[in-house]
Amino acid sequence: MSSKLHAAGASLAALLAAGPLQADQTLTVYTYDSFVSEWGPGPGIEEAFEARCGDCDLEFVALPGGVDILQRLRLEGEGSRADVVLGLDMNLMAEARALDLLAPHGAETGALDLPIDWDDDTFLPYDWGHFAFVYDTEQLDSPPGSFAELLEAPEDVKVILQDPRTSVTGQGLMLWIKKLYGDRAPEVWARLNERVLAVTNGWSQAYFSLFMNGEAPMVLSYATSPAYHMAVEETDRYQAAAFDEGHYLQVETAAMLRTTERPELARDFLAFILTPDFQRHIPLGNVMNPAIDLGDALPDVFDRLIAPESLTFSPEEVRAHRREWIREWLNASVR
Amino acid sequence: MAQRQRPLSGASASLRWAGRSRWAPGLGLAALTAVAGLGFGSLGALLWNAQGMHPAALWQEPWLAAVLRFTLWQATLSTLLAVGLAVPVALALARRPRFPGRGLLLRAMELSLVLPTLIGLFGLVAVHGRRGWAAPLWEWLVGSESSYLYGLSGIVLAHVFYNLPLAARLMLQALEAAPAAHWRLASQLGLTRTALWRTLEWPRLAPLLPRLAALVFTLCFTSFAIVMTLGGGPRSSTLEVALYQALKFDHDLALAALLALTQLTICLSLWLLALSRGGAPSLVVGHVALPAGGRWRRRDAPGVSRLTDGFWLTALVVLLPPPLAAVVLAGLAGLPELPRQASLWAAAARSLVMALGAAAGALALALSLLVGSRWLGARRHRAAALSMEGGGQLILVIPALVLGTGLFLLLRPTLGSGWQGYGLVVLVNAFMALPFAMQVIRGALPGLSAPEVRLADQFGIRGRVRLRWLVWPRLRRPLALALAYAMTLSLGDFSVIALFGSPSAPTLPMLLFQQLGGYRWQGAAATALLLLALVVLVFALLGLWTRHPPRYPWNRFAREERHARVP
Repeated sequence: MSSKLHAAGASLAALLAAGPLQADQTLTVYTYDSFVSEWGPGPGIEEAFEARCGDCDLEFVALPGGVDILQRLRLEGEGSRADVVLGLDMNLMAEARALDLLAPHGAETGALDLPIDWDDDTFLPYDWGHFAFVYDTEQLDSPPGSFAELLEAPEDVKVILQDPRTSVTGQGLMLWIKKLYGDRAPEVWARLNERVLAVTNGWSQAYFSLFMNGEAPMVLSYATSPAYHMAVEETDRYQAAAFDEGHYLQVETAAMLRTTERPELARDFLAFILTPDFQRHIPLGNVMNPAIDLGDALPDVFDRLIAPESLTFSPEEVRAHRREWIREWLNASVR
Repeated sequence: MAQRQRPLSGASASLRWAGRSRWAPGLGLAALTAVAGLGFGSLGALLWNAQGMHPAALWQEPWLAAVLRFTLWQATLSTLLAVGLAVPVALALARRPRFPGRGLLLRAMELSLVLPTLIGLFGLVAVHGRRGWAAPLWEWLVGSESSYLYGLSGIVLAHVFYNLPLAARLMLQALEAAPAAHWRLASQLGLTRTALWRTLEWPRLAPLLPRLAALVFTLCFTSFAIVMTLGGGPRSSTLEVALYQALKFDHDLALAALLALTQLTICLSLWLLALSRGGAPSLVVGHVALPAGGRWRRRDAPGVSRLTDGFWLTALVVLLPPPLAAVVLAGLAGLPELPRQASLWAAAARSLVMALGAAAGALALALSLLVGSRWLGARRHRAAALSMEGGGQLILVIPALVLGTGLFLLLRPTLGSGWQGYGLVVLVNAFMALPFAMQVIRGALPGLSAPEVRLADQFGIRGRVRLRWLVWPRLRRPLALALAYAMTLSLGDFSVIALFGSPSAPTLPMLLFQQLGGYRWQGAAATALLLLALVVLVFALLGLWTRHPPRYPWNRFAREERHARVP
């Protein structure tokens, strides 16, 4: 009890003492909701970074998703309060770059361990994952082993998708199909649509409201999703189907703003991203693959995940064609 | 003060009632300015910041026309079914003032409206889905796999699930507010079912229906997650999806504003139509001390109507409680997770405080608008009165996304640092709950009947005293119900808080979404259960608080008199 009081008194004193200083040493990071939740990676990372930098204060501002972070940057322009943005994925990079608000990260990227080469000096990856169809082993004994098999699957193998206009995973599938089939994409969409039970607006609706209720044996999600079920819920029931053709890759990145008043602190934070103290919160906190080799610190269940080939478009290609591809999907699906 | 005011000679009683309050037009105007300023201000901010307006884009997209057609179709169908079916349900509930479980059923009716969509969907899928509770029954009856939840039928089912209880609840309120003298007379005359419908029930419901239909239509028209999740693909979506894409991915503010204007035009014209059709609310106003008509023997209660009422009530029981039960069951399974969630109770407290603020705001706005609109109406400024009342619906019609973006452009709130963000959320929630609050209070507001006003005037009961002893007792119950609806609406709202970005201290619905985003289904289900429990608590407390009429000395005589008459 007395030690608690003591701690409270000490923190109060620290608060009073740090009053004027704190304003200078607060690093504001725009990120997404699930990153900052109490079980997400946010709290652990905040603690580790604040312990490291001494008297600084890391403040997360949570927006619903990566797209919202980008939109917020657009709306705020140079007046943005953000020092760092964390949560823009590869497909949003070109658009974010075009805003001319971001500065080079300056971090040492030697430790990066991604399935693709990375030489961007503005965006620093902090995790990655493949889009995949997660299936319920109690409903499906042998999942399709390729996209082609999925399209040929029996009538009752239904899938739950997300809309590419409103969800990151939905957009991932659109790019995946486009990468695999190019000009034949509309035809593939038309065939895939025969398998579709629902196209939801967000991942949560698809995964929680429908898939966990057993409505369909397959749902569009991440290859890392089963890790959570295996590690935290201790069930092997949900697994990702590995497709021979390869899976579309999502890389999530952080970047600092050109307009930040605390460039040193921002750079410190970016450098911190590729250290084990940051990365060990990623696997089960964000349910994604860490961006560096964690060695033994990587939870065992990650060894049991599928390790498919990676497919990508360059961010610029995505930016140039997204509208056109969405319209293509729409026309193929509305018919 | 009020005593100095002389009654206006030669004017009708209602005019004098409204004319007395000099502040009425001012209040109404202030509230209208606030609502319109918020709505049109955010829309204007979007247009102002937009580069290049291409209205042609609206009809160049062929799929957009298809989406609009579908949206209109599903919203019309949903409204017809939800409101149409609510009539027999409300009648049956009014005819049967006591049966086992009636109170529970009423509570459940209050719940369905405020269930966050995602949770509601979970419940609906658990019951009606391909693997739902009802699936074996369906297969046995129809012989094929149950897939009615996906497609138009599912959308309509979900909309009826969400809106029928609200409609029926408000109709029931209107029916129960009928003057006891009428029921007494009806009972003494031994009116048949048809006669009762013609003389008592229909006149109570008729003025309510257009507005109720407009409200339900707006809710169905703008419903986003339900239509997309259950629609089965982009064939069935709403304008809001196009808007989301325009705003978020393409940053096409102009297109977003155009889409919002389209939605605004459709819904507001419908509202104006409804308001102009709705007519004046019934002129007869009941006596507050004698509520439900159920005390009087109804000749239409026994016989065939026993069967029909049984049918409608059973239908309600089949529709409403099972999905709620599914949510509760899932929540119970997640209860062990509760103690592990450090932020849960703080989030619940934060949500309650914010909801109370928003509800108080909504109530103040609703009263101001209604009083102002009545004042204008009494002076025969019918159009102005209508637009003042219609103004209250504005925020519901403007897509939350547009509202949020526009407000952000206008105010550029400082995010993350405490009260500013929360304050904005409370404010917008107040405006969003406004149409519901108005719907509930509206019927109760005329306050006093002409003879009562005359009498009060003769006795010089005016100003604060009249407010305290004559108006307040009549408004207590509707106000409490409105407060409860407004509170629970903001309690379950996530859309607004998501717009402005959130500091790390979450509200309850935010917590729920974070949990879902982080695979914490069990915890999310428990959070949903807590949310439901809070809603029940709010309704129960406010209901309890206003259940009994206040103990005015004359009530005792009234009660004794009544006891003497009722065998």
